[in-house]
Parts: sequence; structure tokens; C-alpha cells
Amino acid sequence: MQEFLMILKGDGMNHLSPDELQNIMGEYKAWVSTLGEKYLGGQRLEDQGVLIKDKGIPPQTDGPFLESKEIIAGYFLIQAVDLEEATLLAKTSPHLGLYHIELRPIAFPKMT
Amino acid sequence: MKGESAQMVDHLFRTEYGKLVATLTRIFGASYIQLAEDIVQETLITALNNWGVNGLPQNPSGWLMQVAKRKVFNEIKRNKMKATHHEAHQYLQDAHADIDQIFLENEIVDSQLRMIFTCCHPSLSVESQIALTLKTLCGFGVREVANALLSTESTINKRLYRAKLSIRTSNLAFNVPAAAELTARLDAVALSLYLLYNEGYNSTLDDNLIQKDLCLEALRLCKLMADHFDQYPKLYALLSLMCFHTARFDARLDVHGAIVLFEDQDRSQWNKELINKGVQYLQKSMGTEQLSTYHIEAQIAAEHCLAPNFEQTDWTSIYKLYELLAKLKPNPIIALNLAIIKSKTEGLESSLKALEALQLDKGLDNYHLLPATQGVFLMKLEQYQQALPFLEQALKQKPSSAEGFVLKTKIEFCKEKLRDQ
Repeated sequence: MQEFLMILKGDGMNHLSPDELQNIMGEYKAWVSTLGEKYLGGQRLEDQGVLIKDKGIPPQTDGPFLESKEIIAGYFLIQAVDLEEATLLAKTSPHLGLYHIELRPIAFPKMT
Repeated sequence: MKGESAQMVDHLFRTEYGKLVATLTRIFGASYIQLAEDIVQETLITALNNWGVNGLPQNPSGWLMQVAKRKVFNEIKRNKMKATHHEAHQYLQDAHADIDQIFLENEIVDSQLRMIFTCCHPSLSVESQIALTLKTLCGFGVREVANALLSTESTINKRLYRAKLSIRTSNLAFNVPAAAELTARLDAVALSLYLLYNEGYNSTLDDNLIQKDLCLEALRLCKLMADHFDQYPKLYALLSLMCFHTARFDARLDVHGAIVLFEDQDRSQWNKELINKGVQYLQKSMGTEQLSTYHIEAQIAAEHCLAPNFEQTDWTSIYKLYELLAKLKPNPIIALNLAIIKSKTEGLESSLKALEALQLDKGLDNYHLLPATQGVFLMKLEQYQQALPFLEQALKQKPSSAEGFVLKTKIEFCKEKLRDQ
């Protein structure tokens, strides 16, 4: 098994109404439960934070730091046999359509 | 992952959105409704992600409140950081109130009342008031507001933007108005809620669910106001009126979604609980205060709801009530109602004469219910040839599709009768 980071990009849910958000929750729940053991974790990130480029440069606090379609909205950590399986799993995510997903293997395979 | 938790209450997010936006606006000030909305939106998305994985928390509302509160503290901190190179936001000075206190249940109601007064501020156009109320207090999305008001997303977005800008530039206070202006401001709120209700009840929109949603939201906000300002009986009169109308809501359509005319409605389908509430509120509204139009409209609705059947309705009383209403609020729709009720008190011919006179009223130009009524009354007199042009005219004047269906059926019926003759 290898670990993969699914990076969600875009401001996909910001324009959904409360009712729409509530309705998505069901799909989301179903997705996480189908993943089962393969789901390791995940978090949403706030749009704003601090960008620190170097010690000498004052930190940038305004954010978002990229074009809105590039905003990193959150991430999931999943495990799969290989990139192919991970891609299949990512493709079933209810976030697609609202976000773009960048799938990146964690460089060091987990030692068991 | 926890086991499958309890089902989430319908519209929980929507209801909590309204409460939280009001609460946060109280912390930040009326100029920062947008900031409050952004933080609440973010809170709901956080909840969606968390609950999707972990299941529903024990107390979903409390959970949302805690997360929103944390985000408020972060926002205040972040704003202090920014304050070195930007001018500090007004709300840093205004956030003197104890924030924990503001999240208590009775304070949340108080915040919602302030929000109602802000959304229904007389400096905003009525259209803006209704859009802003739906967006901030009722938790509708922009698309949902647009659907409900038969408008477009971009129009509603502009309207909301301008309303918030106007609140900011005139620096409106987020509060319950002081005694001196309270009566006038309550009148403005009542009118706005009345119009919101009508928007749902009389809409030509085809989606019955959205219509009912609007009515129930107007009713909920009106109850919130009436319970708090119980020394203003007008609000109870309005609430009573809403209860009576809402009681009949489901009986207006049959199982296929087609309109059931008032006289054909199955009265056993009327919601008795709501009718009883309507009666209670009507009694509560009988104060010393001057009779308002809401009082009269509620009494008319009560006459209808309490009559054993259509034929035994007390038309004479209803006619008198409408006359009183016409005096207080002269308007062509009321004139139309008076003319229609004449069919019960004086007979169809006399009613048709009154309706004909109304054809000259500019206010009823293009109002499909005038020719539709004339057509239907002529049908009752078996004058099918004369009825046809009226029914066809009504069909051209943009009825809802359900109404259009009724008209088409009537037109077919007339044609059949004429063929048989």
C-alpha cells in the first residue's frame, strides 16, 4: 500500500446555498464509507493564511495567494495499491465538479 | 468512523445560517453583513467536511456555533494584524460586547430581530428588503432567491450588493429601533413580511415547494416579531392572516398538481391546527389599537376558514369587510374581490356588471383573473359563446401554467357545449 495526497483546488463550495451544502453531505458520507480503510484523513483549509517566502521578507498575510481557481481548499490522505487505483478512487469523489483534484503520491512509501 | 448517526433535520443548515449571520452581524456591525455571511458559509463547509467523516455531532447547532465563534476570534485577530497597514475596521471598536454572551439562545433571537429591522429598513427598496431577508435571515442561496422571486442570479446579486452598500454608506445601526420610531419601523417590517408572504402565496411560479417555503419563512419571521412585540397587535393580525392562508395551502392543488378552485376545495384537507392558531392570534390582535388592514384581511380569511362549506359562507359579512378594506387601502384587486363577492350577495348578473366596469381600471390591465372570472361566471349562466373570448383573453395574460391548464380545460368545455347545441 502506498499513501497519496489528494489536493482539492478551487472555491467550489463558496457559492453553494446552505440547502445545497446540506444535500451534498449525504454523498460525501457515502464516499468516505465506501473508501473504508483506504481513507486515512482529510481537512478543509481556510482561504486565507500567511505566505512566508524567506526570513528577510515580511510575511504576506492578505491571501488568497493564487488565482481563485488555484486556491487549495483542502486535502485528503488516502492509501491505495498504486497510482492507478488511487486515481480510480479520486475519480469517485463527490468533490469533482466543484473542485479540481491533484493527486500526488507521498514520496516515502509507508514502512510496515 | 462512528456508526450511522441520526438523520439531520430538514433545512438545518439553512435555519442555522440565518441565526448565525444575525449573531455575527451583531458582533461586527451592520456594515459587515458580508463578512458575517462569509464566515458562516465557511462554518457550514467545515461542518459538511467534518460531519461527513465523523457523523453528526450530539448537538449540531451547538457545534456550528462553537466553530463560528472560533472563526470570529480568528477574524478579529487577523484584522488586528492587518490594522498596522490598513485602517482598523470599525468593528474592532464596536466589539465591546461579550462575544460569549451574544451566542446565548435569547440573544440569538434578539440578533435576529435586529437583522429583521435592518433588512426591512425603509431606506432600502421593497425589492431589496425581500431579497436581503431571504438571503441573510432565511439562508436562501442567490440562485434560490432568484428562483423564488422570478428573477435572475445576476439581478439578485446586484440588488444584494447595492443593499449592503447602502447599509454601509448610511452606517445603519444594527439594533431594535428606539421607542420614538418603533411603531413606524414595525409597520415597515410588517409590510415587508406581508409582501414576502404574498410573493409565495400568489406567485405564478410553478414550483409549489418554493412557494410554500416562502410562506413558511414569512410566517416564522412574523411569529418571531409578534412574540417579542406583543404590545403591537397588528403583528398578531398579520400572523393570524398568514396562518389562515397557509392552512389552505395544500388543498389548492390536487394530487396531479392541478389547481383546485376555492369553491371546490376539500375542506377536510385544510390544516385545522393552523386554523386554530389563526383564531388564537386573531383574538390576541384585538387590542385597543386602530383596526389595520391586516386585521380585516385576517377576519375575511377567518370567515372563509370557519364556514362549514362554500355555500354557507357568510358572504354579507365578507362583503362588508371588503368594503372596509377598500376604504383603508383602495386598490384594484380589492375592487375585483368586491365585484366577485357580489355574485354571492346579489347574483351573477350584478357581479358581471361590476366586473365589466372594472375593465376600465388601469390597475387591472393584463390581470388574467379579471377575464378569467368573467368567463367562469358566464359559463355558470350557460352563456358559453360569450364566455369564450374572456377565457381566451385570460390565457394570453400570463397565468401560471397550472392556471393556464384550468383555463384550457374551461375553453374546451365551452367549445364542446357549443358543438352540442
